[in-house]
Amino acid sequence: MFSKFKQWYENRHDYAREWKERTGGKVMGCFCSYAPEEILVAAGWLPSRILGSHEPQDVSEKHIFGMFCPFCRDVLAQGLKGRYNYLDGILMTQACLHLRQSYMSWKMHVPVPFQHYIYMPQKVQTRHAVPYHRSELVKFTKALEEFSGIRVSDDDLDRGMTVVNENRGLMRQVYEYRKEPEAKLTGQEAMWMTVSSMWVDKEEHSSELKRVLEQLPDRAPGRDTGARLMLIGSENDDMPFIELVEKVGATVVVDDHCTGTRYFWNLCEHQDDRITAIAERYIRRPACPVKDWEERTRFGHILELARDFQADGAIIIQQKFCDPHECDMPPLRKFLDEHDIPNLMLEFDATTPLGQFRIRVEAFLEMIGQEDLF
Amino acid sequence: MPKYPTEPLKCWKKAKELREKYYRDYASASEKGGLRWTGGAWSFDAIPAGLGDDVYPITGEPYSASIAFNKPFSMRCLEETEARGWARDLCSYMRNYWGSMYLSEFNLGGKYPKPDFAFQDHICCSHGKWYQVVAEYEDIPYFCIDISVGPYNELDEDRLMFVVNQMHESIDWMEKITGRRYDDEKLIEAVRNDCRSTSTWADICVLNKNIPAPLDEKTMYSLYVFGTLSKHSKEVADFYEELRDEVKDRVERGIAAVGNERCRLMSDTQPPWGFLKVFRYLEEFGALSVGSLYTFGLIGMWEDKPDGSWGPRTTPMELGVPMGTRDQALRVLADWSLSRPEWQHFYDADLKSKMMLRIVKEWKLDGVMLHMNRGCEGLSCGIAENRLAIAEADVPVMTFEGNMGDEREFDLAKTRDRIDAFMETMELERVEE
Amino acid sequence: MTQEYWRWKEYNWHDEKIDPRAGKSISAGCDVGSVSSQAAIMVDGQLYAYSNMRTGSDSPNSAMDAMNWALEDTVLKIEDLHYVVGTGYGRVNVPFAHRAITEIACHARGANFMYGSSVRTILDMGGQDCKAIRCDDRGKVTNFLMNDKCAAGTGRGMEVFADLLQISIEDVGEMSFQVDKEPEPVSSTCVVFAKSEAAGLLRSGWPKNLVLAAYCSAMSHRVFTLLERLGVEKEFAITGGIAKNVGVVHRLEDELGMKSLKSDYDTQIAGALGAALFAKALYEKQQAGK
Repeated sequence: MFSKFKQWYENRHDYAREWKERTGGKVMGCFCSYAPEEILVAAGWLPSRILGSHEPQDVSEKHIFGMFCPFCRDVLAQGLKGRYNYLDGILMTQACLHLRQSYMSWKMHVPVPFQHYIYMPQKVQTRHAVPYHRSELVKFTKALEEFSGIRVSDDDLDRGMTVVNENRGLMRQVYEYRKEPEAKLTGQEAMWMTVSSMWVDKEEHSSELKRVLEQLPDRAPGRDTGARLMLIGSENDDMPFIELVEKVGATVVVDDHCTGTRYFWNLCEHQDDRITAIAERYIRRPACPVKDWEERTRFGHILELARDFQADGAIIIQQKFCDPHECDMPPLRKFLDEHDIPNLMLEFDATTPLGQFRIRVEAFLEMIGQEDLF
Repeated sequence: MPKYPTEPLKCWKKAKELREKYYRDYASASEKGGLRWTGGAWSFDAIPAGLGDDVYPITGEPYSASIAFNKPFSMRCLEETEARGWARDLCSYMRNYWGSMYLSEFNLGGKYPKPDFAFQDHICCSHGKWYQVVAEYEDIPYFCIDISVGPYNELDEDRLMFVVNQMHESIDWMEKITGRRYDDEKLIEAVRNDCRSTSTWADICVLNKNIPAPLDEKTMYSLYVFGTLSKHSKEVADFYEELRDEVKDRVERGIAAVGNERCRLMSDTQPPWGFLKVFRYLEEFGALSVGSLYTFGLIGMWEDKPDGSWGPRTTPMELGVPMGTRDQALRVLADWSLSRPEWQHFYDADLKSKMMLRIVKEWKLDGVMLHMNRGCEGLSCGIAENRLAIAEADVPVMTFEGNMGDEREFDLAKTRDRIDAFMETMELERVEE
Repeated sequence: MTQEYWRWKEYNWHDEKIDPRAGKSISAGCDVGSVSSQAAIMVDGQLYAYSNMRTGSDSPNSAMDAMNWALEDTVLKIEDLHYVVGTGYGRVNVPFAHRAITEIACHARGANFMYGSSVRTILDMGGQDCKAIRCDDRGKVTNFLMNDKCAAGTGRGMEVFADLLQISIEDVGEMSFQVDKEPEPVSSTCVVFAKSEAAGLLRSGWPKNLVLAAYCSAMSHRVFTLLERLGVEKEFAITGGIAKNVGVVHRLEDELGMKSLKSDYDTQIAGALGAALFAKALYEKQQAGK
């Protein structure tokens, strides 16, 4: 039922090339899930999140010092290897220092016609964040207009908001089926869906979602849900890991990471000033830890998800060397403990040491269940 | 026989006193009814100055560097932080600081003096999180100003005002949490001192263009630090003027930092603080580091001079920029600070490479040694690209890995080997004593 | 042939006083680790036989060898075992097992049996990894931490050292105390670095026992930090091969300010024993369900 998403996930470059040919449109490589997709869609561009390929590589070593996260190095490697040579532009929406370096180096070493850095606020908790972010988005829109020789009207922006919102709403509807006692879909299927939505044309993706939503109510999962787990962490589209977890007696039912709910959870609410509406959507969305200060707003959101989806436990998938997430780790674990959500922390590299993870996951599942042994 | 005469700095004693006074003032502030606050070395320390003359900061980075010098204590701090579940690859300043806080031990003796509030700015991802943890643990109010509005050459009104607006917001907040009335005159005075300190420091660094260099970087570490402790204070601004006069005098009299100077280098990022002897080791080859973008531009403020050279930024006082109101003072402070050289590479490594190559040229350097510093994600950001750019410009460059505040990640013997190899490529042999 | 200092003795044992044929349940556990493998056989919850040997090139054969050796000289054959649980690194490759359970769960259960129900914190120092485990009074895991990224704090690391210093691994602990004054620990716990550091110390004239002391101390400190991260609650017990190394154990106890529990059982069979106990529980449930 989710094979189309899987296919899109596995063939992202073929898809983008084919889309360009079919529509004559332009593709924007986005470095972070904070990219204002509404504006891109309004301008007729295809937003395409740049992710790594989870292969061992040695091309980015000389560009990014090894103390930075494997993800940002994996991302840059994709550019250096020419895998994204169809991009018309690259877009950085101010993220962590790690990912910024992928953008910086890409800009220097991989020629792309258009580049833009949105100096998005890191402090989203000040009342000045929305107006300031608005001004950054206006600059970005102008740059895009100038580059493509078009004008982005309010109608275009309305269409952009509608198209992106529809996609978000449909994915949330699919997530509803993960709440059922026997989850109707696996975590891996959900991840194919959410991650592919980051580079597939939203309307096309939405029509596939509608098709799936028609069939989902009658779907027999054909497997035991087992322990219901939540995944928490930084960027993660590590498919072999989810597959492993779901093979040893568990199902991932919800997540808080930026290739999952953080990316699509909240909608863009209409306002007369469209760009303010868009700015507000990104300022208010579930925060990446890099933007989650002075207050910690993430934890409440995590708890709400865990409760809504009846998670029995959480696996924290920590990207190695990811400072912002590491700065949340002990307080997050304490918070989960206090709310009786057992949790396991695993440190992720670009490639996954499945054997080492397997014992931890199995022991964790034994810990939170398997009363039959006693 | 050394080529150049050397002599110790006269204001060394004063520097030592000033530094001791800084920590003593902080530690004893509460006894006298004063206020203590904690924050980063880049915090807008001029702003809390408006709360009164009895308000003292402790800035995290220099405090943690001082811990790193004290290896057994540093190790206990780091391990305490790790035992509480924090990752070992986080900022080593932050981990030393947290450790000292958790252990409730002050590096200068006694209990760790609890601050009344935390006031930070945010350009590095660890900045905002550092004092979030402090504020939670100490249960104190916390305010952090986001300054990540892009490089100075792209600064515009919107970006500037995002910072200025938050500054205004921070003053309202300070009044609320301290119950004190804010004094704009004190703010204005502090902003003037900030500009004076940081411009004068650049002036001092310019003097190192001279051959022989009047200062070596190891000495500069002990001096630039005042700009990280209390750049807004009159004492620091005055001290830097006195220091500048002395260094000028050294230049005029041909006094060198290193008598055998024959190879001029620069470093990059914070050094491994517990191992400054690396710099002494260079001297065995007649080599010295005359500075770095780090020592020059972490605190120093710079601009292009009419003759095309890099020199101290002209202060708003010299330019006659109006600074009579709170808003004017804050605008000045924001604009002034956003031009800080070490704030530019956070958006673009290329901006830093250009400044580094400029230093190579204007300070007449023979090579560059980059400290690949695992302890600081902020200043290591883009460093690999800097290396490529320097090498591409045909400037000899070596790297050594280490950590400014975690000695477990620094290997002295290996670093010496690297220096030996680097000296060999530059065809330098040890100087006969 | 040169002497292999790292090589420890393999052995088996069984209790002559028990008549297994009179037992209602004959359960067994087989722990196939990366360095060593053990089998334990229980009769009605009492330890009847066990073996401990080096793991061979593949898990199924190692499991078979360990079990056969435990059965050797007993009246039992492999077909007589009612229920077998596989555990350890090779747990899913134990051909005759009915179920696989992680060694984390098995060590906790085994320690509960060996040391009594007051055990709350267990340190399992295995061949290639090191685990800190917290459990309840039934021996059920409540939390755990694992280091398997480097050989520091593992049996394999100690073997490398024994070889370097040419001291039989079984003598390492005692010898490390034959020093006038405790030296600074070697600064690196990474086995590769520590080995070169130790070689440097030997060259500079340090006696072997001093180098050993410095390494044991570094190793115990390393596992101490792992335990500290998890939090240590009384009572505390150590399982696995390194529990037999007093050089590490005593130093760790000093640093923790806490003694570890002692047991008459062989610490290396904790995993296999836990597996056998789970096997018993599972067998009884199976019988009851019939």
